[in-house]
Amino acid sequence: MNGRSIAERAEYLSKRRARMLPVLAVIFLSQQATFFLQMAAPGPHSAERAKIGAWLVLSVILLAALASKGFWLQPREVRDLIDDENTRANRNEAMRWGFLFAMGSAIAVYVLTMFDTVSGREAVHIIMTFGLAAALIRWGLLERRAYKDG
Amino acid sequence: MAERLANRLKDRRGELGLTQAELAEKVGVTRKTVNTVENGVFTPSATLAIKLARELGLSVEQLFWIER
Repeated sequence: MNGRSIAERAEYLSKRRARMLPVLAVIFLSQQATFFLQMAAPGPHSAERAKIGAWLVLSVILLAALASKGFWLQPREVRDLIDDENTRANRNEAMRWGFLFAMGSAIAVYVLTMFDTVSGREAVHIIMTFGLAAALIRWGLLERRAYKDG
Repeated sequence: MAERLANRLKDRRGELGLTQAELAEKVGVTRKTVNTVENGVFTPSATLAIKLARELGLSVEQLFWIER
């Protein structure tokens, strides 16, 4: 990749991101499934903490990738080019979807508490899961559509 | 009735023998952005529209118009 121009590197990384976003969403969602299965049959305390810690780290990384230019290890010129106006528009649209899904999940959790007990941790998991996953999937779809007919 | 921003970006680019990647590099965006503008998927900012028109040797009004 070193012999490539800035534009070629940006193109390569941007395409790779478009492919990776839905995959990341699936990994994130499957991690949540593990959490809720574990709630039904809790394991050793230290193992639970490790899993929750891993989930928290992944959530923060995904949120940072959504909210920033991403590709933190790349040179500034490449990062600036990847984050051009179409990418920013797609990201903003994805963030809008993420916000709406998070709010929808919060309403659903609120209604659920009228019939069943939901812990604060469970509520946070549900809201973050739907918010982040919706944003990742939407961004991935928009980025993939942007490369069609190209 | 819905309005959309039509353009003759692809035709003009072809006339000048430029690829999407070459045009993108000239105006400082990725090829993806040029592709989405060409396909009418993305409405460019005024800044980008002016840069594209300048690179293609046209006025903004010649390059873009509103279709009903």
